[in-house]
This record gives sequence, C-alpha cells and structure tokens, in this order.
Amino acid sequence: MTLLQGVLWGMIAAFWLPLYPTLRRGDIWEVMLALSSVATKSSLILLMVSVIRDDWMMGLVGVITLSVGNAGFMLLAHLLRRLGQTGG
Amino acid sequence: MVEVVSGIGLGVGLWFWFWGTPVLLTRHSILFKLHHLSVADTLGSMAIMAGLLVRRPREWPLLVLAVLSLVMWNTVLGYVLAYCASARQPVSVETPDGPNH
Amino acid sequence: MDPTIEVIALLLPLTAGLLVAETNPYRALVIRGVFGAMSSLLYGLLGAADVALTEALVGTLLAVILYAVAVRSSLVVRLGVLQQDFQAAAPEWVTLTTALQQAFKSWHMQVEWVPYEQSQALERALAEREVHGICTRSPTAVIQAKTRVYRLYEILQQEGVVPIVMYDQPVTSSEEPR
Repeated sequence: MTLLQGVLWGMIAAFWLPLYPTLRRGDIWEVMLALSSVATKSSLILLMVSVIRDDWMMGLVGVITLSVGNAGFMLLAHLLRRLGQTGG
Repeated sequence: MVEVVSGIGLGVGLWFWFWGTPVLLTRHSILFKLHHLSVADTLGSMAIMAGLLVRRPREWPLLVLAVLSLVMWNTVLGYVLAYCASARQPVSVETPDGPNH
Repeated sequence: MDPTIEVIALLLPLTAGLLVAETNPYRALVIRGVFGAMSSLLYGLLGAADVALTEALVGTLLAVILYAVAVRSSLVVRLGVLQQDFQAAAPEWVTLTTALQQAFKSWHMQVEWVPYEQSQALERALAEREVHGICTRSPTAVIQAKTRVYRLYEILQQEGVVPIVMYDQPVTSSEEPR
C-alpha cells in the first residue's frame, strides 16, 4: 500500500497548483482553467482513496461528481462568454 | 507482475499531471495552457485509473464509468473553453424590441 | 487523523479567504466553484458521502448558476436611446460607448443599449422604470443623459463622460400649482 500512498501524496501536491491562478489578477479564463483542473483532480483523488480504503461509497461519490459536476461549469463558461467580461 | 504494471500506470499518470499542471503558473497564452491541461487531466487521469484497474479489478464498474465520463466531459469542456476564451466580442446592442416586452 | 486529509483541509480556509478578498464578482463566482469542488472532496474523504454529493450538485452547480444569473441581471446598466439617433453610427456615439465602458469597468458593470422608436416611448420607459437612464441628442447635437438612479448619477458625474441630469419621479400625477 506504500506505492498508492506515495501516488496519493503526489496527487495532493498537484492539487495545490491550480490555486495560484486564482491568486493572480489575470484573465478570468485562467481561473476557469483552474476550476476544471480542480474538479477533475478532486474526483481522481477521491477514486484513489476509495481504492486504498477499499470503499465503494467514496468511489461512487467521485464518479458522480466527475460526471455531473461539470455541466454547471459549461453553462458558466457560455454565460461568461456572452458577457464578454474579461476580468481584471 | 500486477504490481509492476499498475505502478507503471500510476507513475505515467502522475508524470502527466506534473507535466501539464505547472503550465498554469506560467504566462503563456490561454490556448497553450488549455492544451497542456487537457492532455494532463485526460491522459494522466486515464493512466492513473488504468493502474488502479489493474490493481483492483473488483471495482471495475466504478473505474470504467469514471474513465468514460472523464473522456467525454474533458473533450467537450476543452472544446467549449477554447471556443469561449478565443471568441472575444464587443458589447452588443440588444435587438430593437421596443417598449413592449 | 490521516495527514493527507489535513493537507487537503488546509486548502479550504485558503480558498475561502481568496473568495472573500476577491472584488470582481465574476471571478468570485468561479472561485466559488473551486471552493465547492475542494470542499466536496474533503467531505467525501471524511466519509460523508451525502454531504459531498449535495455540495457537488447544489454548491458548485446550482449556486454558481443562480449567482451568475443574479450578477448578470444586477450589474447591467440599461440605457435607452432613440432608434434614429443610434442607427446613425455617428462618431460621438462610438466615443460615448467606449467612454461609458471604460467608466463602468472599475465597477464591473456592463452597458446595454435599448433602442426605442419614439421619444415619447423613451420618456415613458424612463418613467416606468424600464431602463435605468436614457441618452438623448439635443438640438445642438450634444448628447445628454438622464437617469433616475442616484448612484448612477453620482458615478457618471464623477467620471464626467457625459453631461447627466437627475430625473425626478413625480409623486402624484396631478399638476402642481404654479
């Protein structure tokens, strides 16, 4: 189980990286990219932990988050494009 | 054998993640970042899930479902984000619908 | 407790602080989505599957969409114009549009032009609160603005892009004795 633990630590380290674009006063689309990255990575971490703990419930939560949670994100992207709002 | 194959999958996936995600910290163009991020998040996550699938075949329905939804959503989202981020239009005039709306 | 959970839990107050410190409402919306994804992960890791699902569905999907609609409808300034004035595409209208965009940019507001056919319809739209203000062209070809929102009056007077007057809503429809 030590290999899985090590991979989990690596995934958590990668999970911290998208926080930086939200800190920077840049384009709003960079924050959207960070959001998509965080959404994917969070469900992957959940799946990983579910395999480590051999827990079906958590894996199910990860899969549902992965498949449903992105719909609102797409709507938000279209709304932001229609606004022509570039942030900053 | 199972250990080695699954370790290769997990390692490749993690390497993809760390190849694509730090591009977010740089000052490249948005499409460059989108390309790197979609490669990292789709291919890397698929490799990680393949590694998990080899190690734990008992949980195959969850992992296969996750792979399918991941591939579908990330493709669609990558397209939508590229379309939305590259199309910058000025403020538009509302259609002349007059006072009766 | 598992140290991985602690490291992920550390992300939550950090993102919440960023969210509170953000001044642009649209960026705050997207950061709210990031926060929702992170908290959903944390709830899942702590074993609360139902809370995690609720956070993923309501917190990041429904709340973000509702807030987006609210921000979209509240941070737009609707300005009425006359159709024949506006369709002239005169350079002063172009200048005015860009100047207004610049002026409202620091308030994260958008300008939306609403054309009207006749000047009576324009005045009635202002009186019936259909638009926030109107822009008219006086006989001396100077564009004037009239608004009934005091805050808008303040902002536009401070920025000085267009001469603006305040529209006083009559309390009753009866004529005042002179």
